[in-house]
Order: sequence, then C-alpha cells, then structure tokens
Amino acid sequence: MVQYNFKKITVVPTGKDFVDIILSRTQRQTPTVVHKGYAINRLRQFYMRKVKYTQTNFHDKLSTIVDEFPRLDDIHPFYGDLLHVLYNKDHYKLALGQINTARNLISKISKDYVKLLKYGDSLYRCKSLKVAALGRMCTVIKRIGPSLAYLEQIRQHMARLPSIDPNTRTILICGYPNVGKSSFINKITRADVDVQPYAFTTKSLFVGHTDYKYLRYQVIDTPGILDRPFEDRNIIEMCSITALAHLRAAVLFFLDISGSCGYSIAQQAALFHSIKSLFMNKPLIIVCNKTDLQPLDGLSEEDMNLVKEMKAEAIKTVIGAGGEPNDDENVLLTMSTLTEEGVISVKNAACERLLNQRVELKMKSKKINDCLNRFHVAVPKPRDQKERPPCIPQQVLEAKAKAAAEKEQKKLERDLEEENGGAGVYSASLKKHYILAHDEWKEDNMPEILDGHNVYDFVDPDILERLEELEREEGLRLEQEGNEEDVEMDDKELTQEEKETLATIRKKKSLLIQRHRIKKSTAESRPTVPRKHDKDKKFTTQRMGRQLSALGIDPSKAINRARSKSIERGRKRERSRGDSDADAMEMDDDRANKKLRLRSQSRPRSRSSSRPRGEIVPGEGFKDALQKSKALKLAYGASKKRNKDAKRGEADRTIPTLRPKHLFSGKRGVGKTDRR
Amino acid sequence: MAVRLQFENNCEVGVFSKLTNKYCLVAIGGSENFYSTFESELADVIPVVKTSIGGTRIIGRLCAGNKNGLLVPHTTTDQELQHLRNSIPDEVVVQRIDERLSALGNCIACNDHVALTHTDLDRDTEEIIADVLGVEVFRQTIAGNILVGSYCTFSNKGGLVHPHTSVEDLDELSTLLQVPLVAGTVNRGSEVIGAGMIVNDWAAFCGSDTTATELSVIESVFKLREAQPSSIHDEMRKSLIDSFV
Repeated sequence: MVQYNFKKITVVPTGKDFVDIILSRTQRQTPTVVHKGYAINRLRQFYMRKVKYTQTNFHDKLSTIVDEFPRLDDIHPFYGDLLHVLYNKDHYKLALGQINTARNLISKISKDYVKLLKYGDSLYRCKSLKVAALGRMCTVIKRIGPSLAYLEQIRQHMARLPSIDPNTRTILICGYPNVGKSSFINKITRADVDVQPYAFTTKSLFVGHTDYKYLRYQVIDTPGILDRPFEDRNIIEMCSITALAHLRAAVLFFLDISGSCGYSIAQQAALFHSIKSLFMNKPLIIVCNKTDLQPLDGLSEEDMNLVKEMKAEAIKTVIGAGGEPNDDENVLLTMSTLTEEGVISVKNAACERLLNQRVELKMKSKKINDCLNRFHVAVPKPRDQKERPPCIPQQVLEAKAKAAAEKEQKKLERDLEEENGGAGVYSASLKKHYILAHDEWKEDNMPEILDGHNVYDFVDPDILERLEELEREEGLRLEQEGNEEDVEMDDKELTQEEKETLATIRKKKSLLIQRHRIKKSTAESRPTVPRKHDKDKKFTTQRMGRQLSALGIDPSKAINRARSKSIERGRKRERSRGDSDADAMEMDDDRANKKLRLRSQSRPRSRSSSRPRGEIVPGEGFKDALQKSKALKLAYGASKKRNKDAKRGEADRTIPTLRPKHLFSGKRGVGKTDRR
Repeated sequence: MAVRLQFENNCEVGVFSKLTNKYCLVAIGGSENFYSTFESELADVIPVVKTSIGGTRIIGRLCAGNKNGLLVPHTTTDQELQHLRNSIPDEVVVQRIDERLSALGNCIACNDHVALTHTDLDRDTEEIIADVLGVEVFRQTIAGNILVGSYCTFSNKGGLVHPHTSVEDLDELSTLLQVPLVAGTVNRGSEVIGAGMIVNDWAAFCGSDTTATELSVIESVFKLREAQPSSIHDEMRKSLIDSFV
C-alpha cells in the first residue's frame, strides 16, 4: 500500500543558496592547483572536470526536487485534488516543469562547453571557457529562482498536512460552520482541535483516531461548508468537498437543530440537498446536534418535514448499499456534544455501518478465499473416551475472585533491582527460590569437581535408595562368602585316605591337561609338507636323514636347518625373523605350500614399508605421478632464477641497498645515472 | 489474561521463556523487567525460574515441557540441570535427553495430554517424551512446516497455529489435540506463533507488537477471561475480515 508522507521531501534551497552550494562543492571537491607549464591536455582535462562536476551536481540536485515532489496524476485522487485546491495544479506543474527544463539546459551548456574546451589552447582560454560555462549554469538557476521559492513554500505546507490514509476505515464529519463538528471529534478522539464560537474556526482538515471493535478508525474533521455555487467556494470549503468526494468513508452530516450556529434548518437542508451527490455509495448518518438546546421532538412542523426529507434521502443511501429499506434506526441520530448524550452511539453507529459496508465489499473480493481458514474455529471431534482436563491451580481461581476485591502490591524483583542500584548493578540470586527440604540448604555450595570426578555424574535423586540396595547386596554377598569359607574349612578336616585320593585326582587332572596341551601344540605346528602329500605322515626329518645318509651325505646340517625353519609357537622374535628374510630365495625351495610361506614371511601391520627416495607418489591434487613430476619440474624451473638471486621466495622483493654508494657519489658523466 | 511484553526490545518472548501449568522458565536478562512481568502474574502460584540452557538465553526454543516433566537438550550443563531440579517442584521430572535435534522447543509442541513432534525425531526420544511428559505423541507438520514447536502453541483449552494452515488440517489437528484450534498470527503478523507467545491454562504472554485484534483472538481461543472460541466467528468476524483482507 502506498504511504502518503510528504514530510520527507528534502529542502529546496533558494536560487542564490543553490548556486552557492553547488559552486562551493565544485571548489572543494575538484583539484585546484594548476600551472601554466602543464601539458595542454592536462589543462583541458582540469577545466573539463570542473565543468562536468558542476553539471552533475546541478543535475542531481534538480533531479531530487523533480522526483521527490509528488506527481499529481500518480497519487491518490484525494491527495491530487487536495493539492490542487491548496496550491493550484497548473502553478505546481509549471514550477516542476521549469526545474526540469533548467536541468536539461544545464546539461546542454555543459556539453557545449566541454566540446569547446577540447579546443582551448592555453591555460587562460580554458579558464575563461570554464568561467563562462559555470556562469551560464548559474544564470539558468537564477532564472528559476521564483519557482524554487514557490516549491519550498509548498514543501513546508505539505509537511504540515495531516497524514490521511485514503484507503483505511474513515469517518468524515461535515456540515455548516459552527454546528459542533470539532467538538464531536474532540469527544471521540484525542485530536484536540481548536473549538471557538465563531464560523470557520477549522480552516483545514484535521485527523484523529478512535477504536471500535479492535479496529482503528481515522476520523476527519472538515471545515464548514456554505450553501453556494461550486465556483464561489473558497479554498477552505473546497478542502471539505475534496475529502467528501474522494474518501470512501462513513459520512456524518451534522445538523444544528437549535439554529444557534446562525443558520436555519432550512438553509442546512438546502446544503444537504446540494451536496447529496457526494454521499453516493457511502454510509450516511444525519446527526442532529445540540439537543440540549432544542430537542428533536420540539421542532416546528415545517422543520420536522425538512428533517424527514433529509432522512428519506439518507435511507436511499442505505438501500443503495443493499440494506433493508426499513432499517432506518441508524440514519437519523441525535446527540449533544455539550452533555455528551448520544455521542458514543453516533460513533458506534457510524463505525458499525462503515464496517458492514467494507466487509460486504471484501466478501465479494477474491482475496477472502486466502484467509477463510483464519475465521474457522476447528472444534475437536472426540476420538476416545479419555478426559483431558485443564490444569488450573486452585490458587489462580481464588486469586481471580480476590482480584476484584483487592489487589495487594507484591514486592517484585524489579523493585528490588531499583532499590539495589538498578539494572546492571543488581545481581539477583538464582538460588533464592529453590524448593528444597530445608531452607538453609539453599545457599549451600555444591562442589562441581571432587577428587577429579564430576560430582554431577554421581548425583542421583534416589541415591539413598540405591545405597541401601547396594548395602543389602553387600550383606548378602558377605553371608555367601562366609558359607564358602565353611566349605573350605571342611577341606582341612579330610582324613588321610581322602587326602591321598584327592591328590591322585588332582595329579591325573593335571596330566590330562598337559597331554591335551601337547596334543594341541602339535596339531597347530605347521607341517613342512602339505597334508595332502603327507597323508601317512611319512615326510619326517628322520626319514630325510635316512634317505640322505643312504645317498652318502651327512644329513645333520639339513636336519638342523629344517628344524630351524619350522614355525615356532607363541610370540615370535622379530629380529631373528629379519635374518630369515635375507635368505628368502633359498627358502622358496624349502616350503612347498605357498600360502603358508607367505604367511610366515608377512610382517605385522605395525609399520608400513618406507617409500624409496625419489619415487613420486600422486596426490596433493595431482592426477598421477606423471603430472606431479611435471609440476615439480616446472616449480624447480621457476625457482631457479629466484634462488640464484638469493631470494627467500616469491614475496622476497627486498633490494638490499636502495642507493648504492658507487652509483650516487662523485661526478656523473652523461646518461650514466640509470645503470641499475 | 493475555499480557504484552518484550525481552530487551525483542518481541519474540516465546524464545526467551517457557510457560507450563506447573512452572515458568525465564531467560536471564540484563534487567529484571522481563522476569518481573512473569513474577507479578505467576509467582504466587507457580515457581518462576531464571535459568540458562547450555549457556544460552534462547531457553524457550531449547526445552520442552508440561506439568509432568521438562525435557532439556544434551547441551545443558550439569549445573543448569541441578539448578532446574532445585527450582522446579519435585513432581516434575527434569530429564536431559540425547537428541540430535537439540532445539527441543522447536521440535516439540505439547500440552499436558498430547504432543506434536518433528517428523525426524529419534524413536528413543519419542519414547522419552511419552514417558516423561505423560503424553500421546504424534509426528506432525503444521502447514508444511516440520518445526511444529515454532509454528504452533496450545494449552489444554485451545490452540493457535500457523496462519496458512488449511481448514482440513485445522480440523485434523484439532481432533488429534482435542482442543479448539484457530489459525492466526502474533506480533503484528508474525507466523512463528511459538516464538511470539507462550501460554498455559490461565495466562498468556505475547510480544508487545501484538495488535488488539490478534490479542482478542488469542484471548478467545485460549479461553482466557471468560472469552469463548466461538466469538471468533460471531462478534469478531467483521473486524477480522476487515483487518486481514
């Protein structure tokens, strides 16, 4: 939604100030030092920059003015018309138009002079061109001086306009001067409009806000309107007419039935009929004010007829809005702002009718479908028999009953804070409200770490129960142990014969175990010849010895070697294993079983084999070893020169001696200074 | 009774406090204003406890609880847990749970009988919720949002959910929770209901941006001050239509 806030328009300086601002900025923000001896290009650049900079500043400033002032055709017609009434649309548009023209003129001047500056051939010529350009720009601004002054005035006036939102809920109060419009708005809002016993006290629109049914209503007090031809109406009256014409509002037409405002009922009725076209499609209420002076029933016959006629007209608006024709109670209301009788009922009636109209309109719009769910109260269907009662402590209910009677002031933490130095100084104790068995426990210090243990890991709400349980268990165990001891005690009371039996049993048992262990050990010792080739267990060292000696060879060495190669049981000694690696080649022939051999040769996983020097392993973002070696080569090449120059790295840019003595001392020859 | 308040100029009061029928947790702030607002409303009846959870002030988003229990995330320190156990009545079980989604307040919405949870919560956690809080647990989403704790709040008397919840979803949720539900906002149109307000069976606290219309909806749906949920579609209907459309 567009917010209409004219308070943020930037100040429009007068013509003279405008020029001063821009020129001083040019002076401050462009270079000022120039010498005759400079290259001509540089001189031209220097002055061109000044001209261009001045032009951009003018352009920016003028653009903000043109952009920030509202365009009367683009804003809400209410504001468009109001501004027209107050400031005259033609004049306003003309002023803004002039600003726009000035902007274009200045751009053109700058363009021309920049072009001319390109042909400036000396410092003096360039300077003269610059002076001429700036001078012409300032003349343009001087010429629009009156427009600037006018716009500044308008800006100041607009900043004081009430911020009326043309789209919100609005109640509009209108009627003859001095019928009590402003007194009414003062009663229902906090607008504080000036009330005086003469006509046209209110000279412009005033806004107040009031609440009805959780919603905020904007109440607009308009200046009084006289019954005369449209063309003759002055600016003050036209404000009211504009508001009536353009705001979708509930209209309260005020009628002074006592006639103390200086206008008879007949005159007021005439006004009503002359502006009734403005009430079309708006909830209209005729409010008969000042009933304290003259009750409605006491009116003369003809005045009563006039009032009834107006009421009939007002009922037409109800019918126009789709209401019931016999629904006439909220069309003619009486009140007295002096005694405040009927004031609230008038406000409520107006709000209610406006709300009804707006709701009816909105119900027809498409947007209502998006928020239908928000008017829906989902009521639960029972899904089981379970009761789910609310849980409200008895105290709350009691307090509620008591609250009406008396409300005792409790001392709050906030009050304590105030007493003890305020926020940031007072530090409330967190332990104050602990719920413990004894109050004096509250401030006890709990160790967090005790003997290197986190105390809380051992805290348990039912620690006492646990302890009891443990003790009970302990007791049971002790009892059992006692029983076992009894059993052992029995052992000592064995007879000699029994002792011997026990000894034999134990001996036999240990023998059995020993045998089993031996058996197990032989079972696990790996045969040198695979089982499938040695089903009958014929391949023994004895057999090898026999066969070798039959061939006339001393078998002792071979036998020893075979024995030494057999797998040891239990933990192995790594060192000696390493030795065996040395003659791995010989071993190949000894062991027929490849699997066994591999296993016997494999190292434990504790240490991975180290990589040979100079081998390149891919990684570090390289695809393969080839790529990496290429990169390494390149890196080497790149650092070669650097290393020759004894630099530390790429970042080492130091020059050891900036001015070597031998280059800067003594008489110089011609053209020898740049030897470095 | 609905109260409007702020925590250090922030209207998301549900982030900095947790309210149940048996206790009220309040974050430790720079001054006592926030705490004292709760103190004046509740301290006669239930303990109002100043605490931090895991060293943070966003306690309302980190813990979940009702009159039976309080669940705190694994980030809670031993000292905080001790403090909570000391301050909260003994019949309320304070339990620290090892759940990956540690913002329990965002993932669990519950009253004293039913809980809605995040769909990705552990099965163990679900069991603990059912055990400790003594509730039926339903894995649900609210208007397509999995953070059920953030987008709804309900007491044993009524509930307020995300404003985009469809009418069918409202009816379904209402049947699950067995309380009347309304789709609405707090804090001048904020959708994060759970963060903007806290409520129990007799009191509600909303952020100070909450409008009069929102407040009246809250009072009627939570049945505070003799208001009834039915008033939302009776006398308040017109005001609601005019302010929403």
